[in-house]
Amino acid sequence: MIRFENVRKKYGDTVILDNLSFNIEPGEFVVLIGPSGCGKTTTLKSINRLITPDQGKIFIDGQDISEVNPVKLRRKIGYVIQQIGLFPNMTIEQNIGIVPKRLKYSKSKIKEITRELMEMVDMSFEDYAHKYPSELSGGQQQRIGVLRALAASPPIVLMDEPFGALDPLTRSTLQDEIVKLHKKLKKTIVFVTHDMNEALDLADKIIFMEKGEIVQMATPDEMLAHPASALIRDFMRKSSSSADSSDLTAADFMKTKFFSVYKKRSIRECTDLMARQHIDSLLIKNDDNTYAGIVTIRAIKKHGKSSGSIGDITPHVNITSNISENAKESFDKLYATDDNYVVVLEDDNTIAGIITKTGMATAMADTLWGDMQ
Amino acid sequence: MNISIILEHFYLVFMSVLFSVVVGLPLGVLAYLNQTLQKIVLWVVEILQTIPALALLGLIMIIFGAGKLTVIIGLVLYSLLPIVHNTFIGLENVDSGIKEAGKGMGLTKYDRLISVEIPLAFPMIFTGIRIATVTTIGVAVFATSVGGGGLGSIINQGIRTQNMELIIFGTLALMIMAIFFDMLMIWVNGRLVKRSSN
Amino acid sequence: MSFFNTYGERLIDAIQIHLFYVLSSVFIGFVIALILGIILSRIPRYANIIMPLLSIFQTIPGIVFIGVLFLYLGMIPATVIIALAVYAIFPVLKNTYTGLMDVKPEYIEAAKGCGMSPIQTLLEVELPLATPSIITGLRMSTIYTVSWSVLAAMIGLGGLGEFIYIGIASNNNALILLGAIPAALMAIVLSLLIDGLRRLIVPKGLRSLK
Ligand SMILES: Nc1ncnc2c1ncn2[C@@H]1O[C@H](COP(=O)(O)OP(=O)(O)OP(=O)(O)O)[C@@H](O)[C@H]1O
Ligand SMILES: [Mg+2]
Repeated sequence: MIRFENVRKKYGDTVILDNLSFNIEPGEFVVLIGPSGCGKTTTLKSINRLITPDQGKIFIDGQDISEVNPVKLRRKIGYVIQQIGLFPNMTIEQNIGIVPKRLKYSKSKIKEITRELMEMVDMSFEDYAHKYPSELSGGQQQRIGVLRALAASPPIVLMDEPFGALDPLTRSTLQDEIVKLHKKLKKTIVFVTHDMNEALDLADKIIFMEKGEIVQMATPDEMLAHPASALIRDFMRKSSSSADSSDLTAADFMKTKFFSVYKKRSIRECTDLMARQHIDSLLIKNDDNTYAGIVTIRAIKKHGKSSGSIGDITPHVNITSNISENAKESFDKLYATDDNYVVVLEDDNTIAGIITKTGMATAMADTLWGDMQ
Repeated sequence: MNISIILEHFYLVFMSVLFSVVVGLPLGVLAYLNQTLQKIVLWVVEILQTIPALALLGLIMIIFGAGKLTVIIGLVLYSLLPIVHNTFIGLENVDSGIKEAGKGMGLTKYDRLISVEIPLAFPMIFTGIRIATVTTIGVAVFATSVGGGGLGSIINQGIRTQNMELIIFGTLALMIMAIFFDMLMIWVNGRLVKRSSN
Repeated sequence: MSFFNTYGERLIDAIQIHLFYVLSSVFIGFVIALILGIILSRIPRYANIIMPLLSIFQTIPGIVFIGVLFLYLGMIPATVIIALAVYAIFPVLKNTYTGLMDVKPEYIEAAKGCGMSPIQTLLEVELPLATPSIITGLRMSTIYTVSWSVLAAMIGLGGLGEFIYIGIASNNNALILLGAIPAALMAIVLSLLIDGLRRLIVPKGLRSLK
């Protein structure tokens, strides 16, 4: 579907892409990964001719793209840029409809497509279609950025770190969604990330780049089993622990960066904190630092008043684990409930950390890798 | 004689900008401190600048008579906008973390303003003063119409007597003065910013 | 009463003439500035030299433009309109240019990525995003032009400046007011109209950004 043949690109004297050659099959989900500045974005942008290589050829469906009109080419390739880039002067509906409009789809057809796509990512058309990007949260904007790329159902979609600036929870939700979309729509996807866990979760094939060259191109399983270089091993080890999976405890997978407040904090302060940190719930502590429960933004909304203290709202009793509990048990709990994370407690019931769904995914990938060692 | 006219022009501009700062800076601070006054102050200085300069000078002349006093009052009113506006915006834009740190250290509102906020906002305020200066150099050509003298008188005379040399002399003097002060103040501002970032 | 009997008709005339000078010169200046601004934003390398030169040019007071043109073209309305139009160009040009240059590159990249041609990118993304800045420029131009139109009277071409000049010369306060107040009102009304226009044409999604 996409073929690179000895593609080279230089800026001044620096070689950015060094004789890149690879092949991407139709319907494949390919993830480009590597250290910052290794040329991932450059590779991606040469596919839709935002960048022209100095040497070598790129073929799409057997056709040399340098012979295709770039505007026409780009309309057949969805593109999600790293900075989202939703047009602030257009509504969500107009943003999503931008390519279909140029391809002269009828108005009603565009509306139908927009509605369908928005439903796929759980955003209601009625609520959001007529809003402007500035009225959406970061996670919602990134969803729309992805939808905009999909709207004219291009056979190829390029995504440059589409979930870069998100908190782990939203990120894992969107990863799930993209996997669903890929399965359903059978697109060829080229996806850039520098997060190995993301790559392992999503990819059919991973291309690991370093200094403009491909170091290894392999399936996730293969890469886990036989990392081709020390750097790749490093990338995968970053968040892994080498212990045997059976005696890993909750402590090994919890995030120790979390946001907790005492009951006496005002509701206003709490909502400010949540807005600043892009989180939708806070852990609540009693005066003696013991865990009291969590309060979600939904509960605050339901409560209705922004005056008073957070303690006025009855906290939700979230699932908890003891810090020394076996990790697998914590994961099973997380699977079994609707809660978004497990609160991990010390023996004296103070809060030690939380285990999120992404944390869990990481853990599984790491364990798998550990097993293969 | 020509030199003295240039000096006269410069005197008008200097006095006007000086008083404009004396009046405008406190007004900008006031707008920053007081939500209710903010709207009124910003609105008034904006309206002042929509009045045609010559008309404004004419109106002031009704009260203060022809002469330099009228010119200076008029030019002060006219150049308030950039100074008040930039003082206000400069103070508003001081990083909220820094403001909070000041609060945290137990500084009073007044203390914070004097020792933290105004110094940090100063490059912005200074830019306002620069804009006011350059504008005033140009607007001061109207001074001659209300008996204030300055380079406007040479230009007017040149136009009346169809003397191209006089027009060019007046204009060049004006342009050089404007560009000189513009560059000088940009340079000074650059030094200020550099010092405060060290 | 007798004051208005004497001057009423002349005042209406003067307001009309003044307004005509302002509207025609701002219109001409705006169109030229918009086009120049767009062109300059396509060649930023040259614009970096051209813009400072223009801003030097800008320090020439309007009175000189009118005076010099008067010497060459004589006492015709075109003298005033051309001089004022030249003067009206700069604020719009500067704001159009900076407005376009300030459009974040990510939007342009996204537009290209969506298969928009350069013209479409300009019309549908860059210009809409630059409108707040462009309108601010238009507002400044208009206010300045109302102010400088007073000078038409200096070369005997009427407008509200006539009352002001005669008033100042003959120490007639009532005449000064008769010229000054309508001129000030005109500037205020026009800038309010432009604020209204801003509300109409600045894309809705940009307002909550500010
Ligand atoms: N226009 C340019 N001019 C000069 N050098 C450039 C230009 N664009 C990119 N580079 C350089 O090319 C190299 C590769 O850039 P690229 O954006 O492809 O990296 P990346 O792998 O996407 O990195 P990141 O993970 O940080 O996004 C970098 O060293 C960068 O500094
Ligand atoms: Mg990149």
